[in-house]
Amino acid sequence: MLESRNANFSFPGRRGRIDVLRDVSLQCQEDETVALIGPSGCGKSTLLSLFNGLRTPTSGAVLINSEVVTGPSALVGMLFQQNTLLPWRSVIENVELGLEIRGESKRSRREKATRLLRQYGLVGFERRYPHTLSGGMQKRVALAQTLAMEPRILLLDEPFAALDAQTRIIIENDVVKICRSGKRSMLLVTHDIVEALSMADRVVVLSRRPAMVKEVFQVPFSRNAKSVADAQSMPEFAKYFKKIWDALEISIGVTEQAS
Amino acid sequence: MRISRHRLIVIAGRMLVLAAILTGAEFGVRNGILNRLFFSSPTEILAAFHTQFAHGTLLPDIGMTLIETLLGLAAGSFVGMAAGLILPQLPAISGMIEPYLMLLNGIPVIVIAPLFILWLGLGISSKIGISLYIVFFAMFIPVYTASLRLDRTLVNALHVMGANPWQIFWKIVVPSAMPSVFTGLKISGGLALVGAVIGEFVASRAGLGHMILYASGTLDTPTLYAGIIILAIFAVLLSLTVDALGPILIHWRFRDEK
Repeated sequence: MLESRNANFSFPGRRGRIDVLRDVSLQCQEDETVALIGPSGCGKSTLLSLFNGLRTPTSGAVLINSEVVTGPSALVGMLFQQNTLLPWRSVIENVELGLEIRGESKRSRREKATRLLRQYGLVGFERRYPHTLSGGMQKRVALAQTLAMEPRILLLDEPFAALDAQTRIIIENDVVKICRSGKRSMLLVTHDIVEALSMADRVVVLSRRPAMVKEVFQVPFSRNAKSVADAQSMPEFAKYFKKIWDALEISIGVTEQAS
Repeated sequence: MRISRHRLIVIAGRMLVLAAILTGAEFGVRNGILNRLFFSSPTEILAAFHTQFAHGTLLPDIGMTLIETLLGLAAGSFVGMAAGLILPQLPAISGMIEPYLMLLNGIPVIVIAPLFILWLGLGISSKIGISLYIVFFAMFIPVYTASLRLDRTLVNALHVMGANPWQIFWKIVVPSAMPSVFTGLKISGGLALVGAVIGEFVASRAGLGHMILYASGTLDTPTLYAGIIILAIFAVLLSLTVDALGPILIHWRFRDEK
């Protein structure tokens, strides 16, 4: 289980400290997908960097299975918005990267990577280099790279933002399936309400900076949907879309008042 | 491989240019249109090669300059690359010494060369030293700059996977710098030769620089040209060798099959 308890994060700026996160408390259970949605620049990515151990909260705590996070954890895998495949490594070498870092033997690495590539429809692309693949394929390789390390918790930092609409739905679908089949926890940062509603069991709306938990919505239909596209055509979808939009819009109004 | 028509025309054109220069020089010098003090005909230059060879100095001179250049290139680029990769990992130290390195880089090598002769003597070591010195900077500056501008996203991604600083250095810092190492090598090849010859010009007992300087002192213009031609061939061979390293150093840039 992934959890933050009254997590605060601030850093020194030119005129005093800049507050990014204020008293953020949230939980993501095993076999649950939580979407974090908020105005751009509100500190969503900073919150993820507390969970992945790259940053520590100024006060409060972040816990994985009730243990305080002090650095990167083997239980956590992450997909970034940017392309993080190493350009000098072939597809299969990229998938092996995490296992290599853990010191697994060449043979077991190769075996696992080959199996994953077969699973994700990347057979025949093993020796290709990332720059010769489409954006969708690159994301698939990145996903295989992350899953090769068998994480219990997946952190997604707007990984699908740069994809075209159709590729995006296909990959979102894959990710949801993979996550549920492995009973993993998934924390998805996005600014797209449609994506949040069609993938997540719960949507957490954050306020503008400093980010606070503004509202939490339980999404009853996404788990019953057969696919991401199916979720988007559920009758309740529109109602929830509006609810979240309203929750976000208030934040936007506040931004306008402040400026 | 089929050679295109266009390519054939270009190659034929190049041959023509060469032939024009050679015949022009030959006839110009023979008919007194070109002064023998300043120009030499191809036959005279060939004769000069022969004389130098007969003296038994041509091959040792070539060998000397070749060894100086290659050792200066190898040592200079290795040290430059290592410094360029490691210094960005030690911000405190690099902050302290960076201004001095940039200051040294600004001094023309020709005025540093006599110091190397003083320190290392008239022999081969001072030439290697000078060559190493210029190659160091040609390699250090691009590699250092590239390592400072490392893609932080890649570093973060590896941190999340649990990589330690050592793994990050070998798996990201080093490969990221390879395109700059290649650029550095391309510049260094020519500079290594320049360094060796400058050293020979300042003070030496052998080498192509020595041969050219001696020929110039004795108004032996054909030998002067002979020396220049060998140096030009050296430079071309060096640059071809360095180009051949591209598919090894930055192999992924050479794989673009779709």
